[in-house]
Amino acid sequence: MEVLQVDGVRKSFRGDMSLTVREVLHGVSFTAGSGEILGFLGPNGAGKTTTIKIILGLLRPDTGSVRIFGRQSGDRSAMKMTGYLPENPYIYPHLTLTEFLMFCADLSEVPGGEAEARVRHVISLVGLEEHSRRRTKGFSKGMLQRAALAQVMIHDPDLLILDEPFSGLDPIGRKTVRDILLDLKGRGKTIFFSSHILPDMEALCDRACIIKDGAVIRTVGLAEVFRLGEGMVEVAARDCPLSELDPVSSYLDSVAVNGEEVFIVVKRQELVRTVVQHLYNCGAEVLRIANHHPSLEDVFMGEIAGLRPGKKEESGGKHFAGHTSGGGVQ
Amino acid sequence: MRKIWSVALNTYRESVREKLLYLVIIYALALMVSVFILSPLSVGAAKGKIVTDVGLAGISILGILTAIIVGSNLVHKEVDRKAVLMVLTRPVSRAGYLIGKFTGVALSLLVLTGIMTAVLVVMMLVGGAPLTPVVFMAIGLSLIEIGLIISVMVFFSTFTTPLLTSFFTICIFVAGSLSGDLRIFARKFGGKVMNYVMDALYFILPNMKVFNLRHEAVHGLRYSPAEVLLPAAYGIVYTAAMIYFAWLVFRRREFS
Repeated sequence: MEVLQVDGVRKSFRGDMSLTVREVLHGVSFTAGSGEILGFLGPNGAGKTTTIKIILGLLRPDTGSVRIFGRQSGDRSAMKMTGYLPENPYIYPHLTLTEFLMFCADLSEVPGGEAEARVRHVISLVGLEEHSRRRTKGFSKGMLQRAALAQVMIHDPDLLILDEPFSGLDPIGRKTVRDILLDLKGRGKTIFFSSHILPDMEALCDRACIIKDGAVIRTVGLAEVFRLGEGMVEVAARDCPLSELDPVSSYLDSVAVNGEEVFIVVKRQELVRTVVQHLYNCGAEVLRIANHHPSLEDVFMGEIAGLRPGKKEESGGKHFAGHTSGGGVQ
Repeated sequence: MRKIWSVALNTYRESVREKLLYLVIIYALALMVSVFILSPLSVGAAKGKIVTDVGLAGISILGILTAIIVGSNLVHKEVDRKAVLMVLTRPVSRAGYLIGKFTGVALSLLVLTGIMTAVLVVMMLVGGAPLTPVVFMAIGLSLIEIGLIISVMVFFSTFTTPLLTSFFTICIFVAGSLSGDLRIFARKFGGKVMNYVMDALYFILPNMKVFNLRHEAVHGLRYSPAEVLLPAAYGIVYTAAMIYFAWLVFRRREFS
């Protein structure tokens, strides 16, 4: 059974004085299955937060439907199994961290006898044990984000909806949150989160749903992304005019320039020797040779900016050759 | 009930930790002035009445002012800072949330009034004023009046800004205090239309005068149980109606 089903959701907002109507979501549809981590990716203003708020019943869709565990969004029994982290969460500054989490536990119907233990558990998960008795007024942005993540987990929900969970976190905080999310996934929880930090999304997601201008333009599995460049090899070279590559252009998938360096993606391993030989003959200096696979960023940029992997970049400083694995070939 | 109580307790904690109870100091100072400075200046039977008069008026005025200050931000601040998102995305009904917010402010005002009452009792004993049950009845009706004002604040705060919430509530309080007199004036001097308008205002606006038992308390006058019970019932029904109207607005509200 799908844990989260968003089907054909449209939403418009009225402008000032209700004179204009602007549709911000144009039939958004996607699903998230049990135990899956689904990333929600899109540029600013694409409609991510609006979609999330519709899922949670904070906004009403014009048309379309949202179902959580087969129930309508906003249904109280569905909400009991759902945890939500808003973007820029507000934690009551007059409460201590423990008081705040006890408040959240009460609202989420955590049984009275279990609440204190749950509070202690989630505080230790986010690493704020030393601050549990402090009022959140003096918390840093990263600490507030961790506290907000703790409130998401207080009732051990089966579906976690996180709007920019890595916002405001330092590298250690990001790793902590990544580890927590992977642990939750290991326990069969479904996680749906939006983020701008593509490496984090790539490290966590099973699938990524890309939204642009209020419409889902692609839902892609991460395994599928990595398979896109299977067998390709990236060659980095210096002193290599692009015009010199014409004789071997049929062997190449893409070429990108970044400063003095040229990144050449060769279609198949058996063609690498010919391409490298050609580069030497042209007087170019070969810097690196490595296996190539596109990143989620490549796919994202391809969908958003129209820069598709495989498209030959004739000029400019845009490196669009994706990730390279550590091991060399040949 | 547990969820409503949690929202109420959170609201209460917020008020108390924002130093709401410091208002008691202002109240105590006003009473001390009335006992130690004004009372010696008065003569005869008025001597003991000053502290009662100032004390009861202080409880009512400070209570209503505090309700307006605290209540103006009641829902708006939570919506503006998005605190409400983490509450309403849990299995909490919007009605429960509003009742919780109301209960929290009412609890804060109850505690404040309780402490002010204790201060008043001490000052009345010090000032030699007669401590009669009607004093407590008057305070009880003041509490119901304050509760009604909080419910009006809850209603306005569900859809407008703190400034407008305060403005509308003050307007309703003033108009509700004068509606009886204005109706009588309209009967005497106004035309037919004015009569209808004043009648309508009289019945729609809360009649704040009915909660005033201070005169009886200060002068030790006799009062009937109906003078306390009917206004109390009226206040409670009006308060419940305002919270219901607040819910009608709030249940349709979107949080973008």
